[in-house]
Amino acid sequence: MSPLNITVTSATAGPVVAVGGELDHVTAARLRDLVAELTLRPGQRLVLDLAGMEFCDSSGITALIAARNHAQAARADIALAAVPARTLRVLKIVGLDQIFAILPDSQSAPGSRSGPDSHSAPGSQSAPGSPPATRT
Amino acid sequence: MMCRTGQQPEPQDAGKDAANAAFAALLEDSAEELYENAPCGYLSTLMDGTIAKINSTLLGWLGLEQEAVVGRMRFTDLLTVGGRLYHETHFAPLLRMRGEIGGIALEMRQPGGARMPVLVSSAVKHGRGGEPLLIRTTVFDARDRRAYEEELLRARRAAEEARQQAEADRARLQDALAVLQRSLLPDSLPQVPGLEAAAHYRTASPDRLGGDFYDLFPVDGKRFAFFLGDVCGKGPEAAAVTSLTRYTLRAAAVHDSDPVSALATLNKVLHDRYAGGDPRYCTTVFGVAEPDPTTGHATVTLASGGHPPALVLRADGTAEFLPTPGGLLVGILPAAHFATATTTLRPGDTLLLYSDGVTEARTGEDRTTLYGDEELRAFVADHAGRPAHAVIQALTGLLDDFGDGLDDDTALLALGVPAAASTPKNTE
Repeated sequence: MSPLNITVTSATAGPVVAVGGELDHVTAARLRDLVAELTLRPGQRLVLDLAGMEFCDSSGITALIAARNHAQAARADIALAAVPARTLRVLKIVGLDQIFAILPDSQSAPGSRSGPDSHSAPGSQSAPGSPPATRT
Repeated sequence: MMCRTGQQPEPQDAGKDAANAAFAALLEDSAEELYENAPCGYLSTLMDGTIAKINSTLLGWLGLEQEAVVGRMRFTDLLTVGGRLYHETHFAPLLRMRGEIGGIALEMRQPGGARMPVLVSSAVKHGRGGEPLLIRTTVFDARDRRAYEEELLRARRAAEEARQQAEADRARLQDALAVLQRSLLPDSLPQVPGLEAAAHYRTASPDRLGGDFYDLFPVDGKRFAFFLGDVCGKGPEAAAVTSLTRYTLRAAAVHDSDPVSALATLNKVLHDRYAGGDPRYCTTVFGVAEPDPTTGHATVTLASGGHPPALVLRADGTAEFLPTPGGLLVGILPAAHFATATTTLRPGDTLLLYSDGVTEARTGEDRTTLYGDEELRAFVADHAGRPAHAVIQALTGLLDDFGDGLDDDTALLALGVPAAASTPKNTE
């Protein structure tokens, strides 16, 4: 089992939360707590980058929905990026592909920028000993 | 430099002498004084038990005067009835046999009828010829020790009572849990004219309250409503949603058995109840079956909110999904879209509703190696054409085979039109 590894970076369109490892009923609360702490401004877009996510159960789906509710409450947008095929299939069964914008990757959003030089948002965290998720 | 000689007292020796003098002043200078006032009782008796000598400490404990005791009382006269009995049956015989005995717990009589726990040691003094002369006895105050032992016993009894109470509480909670668990599912399925119904429910772990649910009930003279679903999450919170979901759907069907209306009502109830930071939702298939007594067919209309598609097993030995694409999870949006599908069941056809506990059962070491939708379809195709209860029985065997791979609860509900004219029966 891979531990959940969450990294937050900021892009011009809004924060990018990279989720790595397994998102299940044990770990999902961490993502929910972290997202609840994110400050979103109206019109921003919160991107959940799921490229490194290896497992997602119904608790993980709940965390995604909680993130959507958080974004909506801030009148911000939300998108899922690089959704693994298995999770995408589940999202389609439960109809969530209709209410989440789904992007091929976290850089697809217009004006988004992420990389080693990007600023960490408040509440940024990653599992000890694991490098922050960076994309080139 | 001075040389040391044996004649000259060393300064250290002078200091030692002074210390010895102070020490000697504190030392017992009288053996008699030590005997009388030692912190334990002493007494000497003749071989018949008559008290020959007794110290002040013991007399003080017992509230007796020397004159009333020496030569007038026996050792056993100082003991309580119980102590006397024990002395006669154990103490005295052992002492006679061994010549000494130590650390025996007895009780002595105190003024006013109080009893004083003591520890008694005795030794026989022998004469030159080896003949026994007298018995020397020491008596230690064991009141503190007795209190300590009683405290230990009391604590042990308290711990035992607490353990029994905890076990009783646990049993009661388990009973309560079982009652609540049963309230989430129907006790038995009703008889449906022209249809055979069978169901199975499997909890993945006995200490986790179920998150799956199903039901089947009449809505009017002709039609029966049924549903099967899966609440997100586990444990008591999920069970509370399950309960709300089941009774909302049943109540909704009373007013309007249209599947989309029933799911829309449930959606509003769940969304209103769980709006906020802790979203609760479920996936549900809700359907209505209307058997036609003239044709023997049954028309099934169902709506799905985010639930895996139902399977239809045909009498010809095939099985296909009944797609309901786009139906959204129930409870996450204020107003949600639900997808509907309709099919006709002919003799030998069976509709199967299931929760993803079966399709997402682990079939390998990896938690991502799962059983799968197509595997389930292929499995039930092998049982297509058989009665509903036989299909459920086969699936029950499949669940057994998954063993530890079954991570989640699984609910199964099958509705079939009997192949030949036979008495419909319900199995669970």
